[in-house]
Amino acid sequence: MKTLTQRLSNPRLLDLVPVVLMLLVAVFFSAATDSFATWANVKNILLQSSHLAILALGASLVLLVAGVDLSVGATMYVAAALIGVFMPGAPVLIWLLAGCGIGLVLGAINAFFVVRVRVAAFIVTLSMLFLLRGVGLWISDTKMVFAAPHLLEMSRASFLGIPVPILLAGLSLVFVHLLLSGTPFGRSVYAIGDDPEGARRAGIPVERVTFMLFVLCGGFAGLSGVVLMSQIAAASSTFGQEKEFMAIAAAVLGGTSLFGGRGNAFGPVFGAILMQTVQNGLVLMDTDPYLYPLITGAVIFIVVLIDTLRNQLSERLGRSPIRVEA
Amino acid sequence: MDAKAVPLFECSGINKSFSGTQVLFDVGFAIKAGEFLGVIGENGSGKSTTMNIIGGILRPDSGEMRLNGDAYVPTQPNDAMEAGIGFIHQELNIFGNMSVADNMMIGRYPRRWEKLPFINHRAKRLATAEALKRVGLDVSPDAPCWSLAPGERQLLEIAKVVSQNPRMIIFDEPTTSLTEPECRRLFEVIADLQAQGIGIVYISHVLSDVQRLSDRIVVLRDGHAVKSTATRDLTRDGIVEAMVGRPVSQLYPDVPPLGERRPVIEVQGLTQPRVLKDVSFSIAAGEVLGVAGLMGSGRSELARILFGLDPHDGTGTISYEGAPFDPSPRDCVSKRMAFLTEDRRHEGLLLTQSLTTNLELVHLSGAGSGAHVPVDRKQQVSNAEDVAHRLRIKARDLVRLPAKSLSGGNQQKVVLGKWLVDAPRLFILDEPTRGIDVGAKEEIYRVIAELAGQGLAVMLISSELEELAGLSHRIMVMSRGMNVGVFERQDGGFDRAAIMARATAADVEAA
Amino acid sequence: MVSDTTVPPRKQGYRVLIARLLSEPAFTVIGLLVVYTLAVTAAVPGFLGAGTLSAIFISLLPLLIAVIGQSFVMIVAGIDLSVTATMGLTSVIAGSVMTANGGYLADSALAVPVGIFCFLFFGALVGLFNGLCVAFIRMPPFIVTLATMMFVSGAAVLYSSWHTTSVSIGGLPSGFTRIGYGTIGPIAFALILTVLVVVAADFGLRRTTWGRWLFAIGNNPTAALISGVPVRAVQVSAYTLCGTCAGLSAMIYSARLETGTPVLSQNLLLDIIGSAVIGGVSLFGGRGSVLAAFLGVLLLTVIDKGMQFIGLTLFVVLSVKGAIILLAAVLDALRLRYAEGKS
Repeated sequence: MKTLTQRLSNPRLLDLVPVVLMLLVAVFFSAATDSFATWANVKNILLQSSHLAILALGASLVLLVAGVDLSVGATMYVAAALIGVFMPGAPVLIWLLAGCGIGLVLGAINAFFVVRVRVAAFIVTLSMLFLLRGVGLWISDTKMVFAAPHLLEMSRASFLGIPVPILLAGLSLVFVHLLLSGTPFGRSVYAIGDDPEGARRAGIPVERVTFMLFVLCGGFAGLSGVVLMSQIAAASSTFGQEKEFMAIAAAVLGGTSLFGGRGNAFGPVFGAILMQTVQNGLVLMDTDPYLYPLITGAVIFIVVLIDTLRNQLSERLGRSPIRVEA
Repeated sequence: MDAKAVPLFECSGINKSFSGTQVLFDVGFAIKAGEFLGVIGENGSGKSTTMNIIGGILRPDSGEMRLNGDAYVPTQPNDAMEAGIGFIHQELNIFGNMSVADNMMIGRYPRRWEKLPFINHRAKRLATAEALKRVGLDVSPDAPCWSLAPGERQLLEIAKVVSQNPRMIIFDEPTTSLTEPECRRLFEVIADLQAQGIGIVYISHVLSDVQRLSDRIVVLRDGHAVKSTATRDLTRDGIVEAMVGRPVSQLYPDVPPLGERRPVIEVQGLTQPRVLKDVSFSIAAGEVLGVAGLMGSGRSELARILFGLDPHDGTGTISYEGAPFDPSPRDCVSKRMAFLTEDRRHEGLLLTQSLTTNLELVHLSGAGSGAHVPVDRKQQVSNAEDVAHRLRIKARDLVRLPAKSLSGGNQQKVVLGKWLVDAPRLFILDEPTRGIDVGAKEEIYRVIAELAGQGLAVMLISSELEELAGLSHRIMVMSRGMNVGVFERQDGGFDRAAIMARATAADVEAA
Repeated sequence: MVSDTTVPPRKQGYRVLIARLLSEPAFTVIGLLVVYTLAVTAAVPGFLGAGTLSAIFISLLPLLIAVIGQSFVMIVAGIDLSVTATMGLTSVIAGSVMTANGGYLADSALAVPVGIFCFLFFGALVGLFNGLCVAFIRMPPFIVTLATMMFVSGAAVLYSSWHTTSVSIGGLPSGFTRIGYGTIGPIAFALILTVLVVVAADFGLRRTTWGRWLFAIGNNPTAALISGVPVRAVQVSAYTLCGTCAGLSAMIYSARLETGTPVLSQNLLLDIIGSAVIGGVSLFGGRGSVLAAFLGVLLLTVIDKGMQFIGLTLFVVLSVKGAIILLAAVLDALRLRYAEGKS
């Protein structure tokens, strides 16, 4: 019963945009620099993008129900600062678990205000962004917090031949993928994202699911904070700043819609790698570092533009057309 | 106890009030296994409220319901389904971003391991395929739902309900977005369900469908179940009289005579892909053109295109007062066109603003206005007072009270009234009496006739054929995006049966 | 049918009081203001002196201008997160024009007028861009302005790196810096400017058709469209004015700092949105006034100065302000819920 135009205007065609972008970016930098297309550099890109991939996985969970979490960068900082100040000598596993735990708690605070008090997510998480940054600065006394040596070792170590940060990102990916595609909880996320009222009518506990998603997003932010700290050895007062935008950009770049209901676990990871690839290429090309935020801003804008257009397209297709006799 | 003596479902003495206004009064009826019960009534008669109570969405203030003789007290939609009452809403509950199988099984996924929350995708697909087969829907369980046609979505919804083995299914206006073959398929499925002993409660505006298919008919009017009779004992006129509740002549004002024909709007061959096809008509000053048609026939879409609310990038011309016209809402307002939306809460009112603010909005946006123009507040208040007086809007305070504090009928008068501050020349009314009581209806009818008498051209869209017949000079019938016929008022009014037959075009007669 | 699914709660005693307080945020703000001032004065008696109060008043002027701009956008149910970045950008552009250290118009008589023009023009330009994206492409306001914020703040840093090796552009002409703390007769120049903005904004919001259109759009954009309101044009105008106000505000800040700098208003975003929300400009649209903006700015500035007076550190101030905006947003949400509960 599908017409040709319906097939051609299939919104899924737009899902190919990031893949095409990745190809273009890869070809461009391979041609422009010698060191880009090497194994060492590919591994480097993956290592550098692990923390962002983890963060973007969390961000996309929230985006799937048309929410947003702007506080993830500050959450990273609080997690890194708390552990770095109070228990720097803890074993690596404790670092990771504590990072998650702190994130989960902070996520629950966001979730409380968004779900229970029903304040717009962006304003809750925007105020939490400042609030948590202040808390982080207070904990660290505005000083640099250094990562313990064994944490640094973790970031350079490998397990089963896979560098640990990449492994952690991979595990996060598997977790989110199983959650979203394999569990009733995950499927209900998509229903809520498509039509929250409809989901409620279908008997889905919309509030509980949304609450859990914000909590999980915080958890991933905490984990990401620990991973990033282990890689860059220290957390300065700007640690994690603007990561929230990078995470949203990565998620949306990977096909997660800001309007909810669309996206999967692989998209945000792909988006994170793509963003890191661009940055990596620019560094190799020795461009003005002041250009990076400009480029990131432009990328976010374009990605959001595409998402908006795609959403309008699928809305138009979704509206039941009146059958006009041909 | 003899099984036949106990009805499958019965309710009695159901009362329900919203914000102090009682909308249901001692409603009661019963349905036997395998029976097809038609429920009809005008907009606002309490059909949906009654069904929402049975479906567990609303709770009654008093009254009791019994299912197979046992007390049935649903507190949420899931309770109804668990008890065996399926509800297929007019607004379908389909998630376009998910697959057919996911839509079918959401909320009750089969698990791979008993203790772990993982979905057994294979079992999910098999169960879905099974359920789809039962309603004869031939789509893949993996197909994304946005790709389904409206009829397929409807059948999917039915399959979802049927697969949970209900004893009774409520259909709320199931045919509104269906094509004729899809309707036929739906009726086959329903007949099949009846044969399995499932009770069918069927709400519809399409009287001919209800008459043809039902065993019994319940008529609701202003919250009372005024009739519950075997269908074969009812005539069409008898049904209509029960719905309206009084001889039609008392409810509707006299239709003012038409003088010399001076067209205000002329539409030639208006076509919009997938929405309208070759629609032509004109409305003269002082004329009320009724537009009949089922929901999804393109009648509201036609109105929205004429007012520039929906895009028109197809062919055809619109001329307004003799000049070609490419509508945008702003042009329309400045050219004294008016549009009463069918959705007053979401498209009509500034709910939290005062009546004056609501009533002044069109005037402030019309001809001769501009962003920089200072607002003369005294003038606005006096304008609002005039309109409120004219429409008999019952409100204590026009300046401070927000619009949402009014009753439905008075809210509708406010939406109507904002267009009357500057006398309009063409008024498009889309379902002007949806969800308001008979008293308010009567007053809105009076205003429409009065305005027409003053030379206003009116395009009146309604799903109530009685309303169209009572007010219009001519009735244009729409079906599948086309103008399928125009009926003139004869001495005895309109030939309702012919209009209805034309609106449901061929499906009834051909089937 | 749809309209009547909720039964309004019966209001009694304290609920009436709460509803009343919520519907009049001005009472809450003034109450908090009095309590806070008394508390700080109790701790540090010097706080309530004429010197402190006039310093607070003079310092809040540019913030007030920015908040009024933000209010326009918030009334049409939008948000502009890019204002602070816009302020930074206009600051460096105007600075690069005016600076004596190799500015485009260094030592020219035109330097100051052109510089002032740059503040307004580039502010309006960014606002216009945001407005077009929101109104015509229908992108979600917060994310568009977020992207604009990143881009514009990046652009500001990049641009200033072309003109100076340090972070900021100094050497601004004295004719310009006088805008900051200078006076005309006995009255501060910034005060005159702010009063002009306040009067114009108040007149626009309350007395003109444009104002009615803003509120109508914020309340119900579809109803406004059907009633003939030029919805898109009005939305664009709101964002453009917001950008212009940001430029104007940046002008006063730059004059006071005597530099053009991309980090002119770091951390001010919270103050701007926070002030508006605290004062009672709704995040959900359709509600706001110049008085609300003023009360919000006053409260936030007093809190800020009070904390500095007590000697709290920057990060505590940051946390407290974050908490306050959250609180204000919670009140806003409750206010909406109470308002809707009555329907």
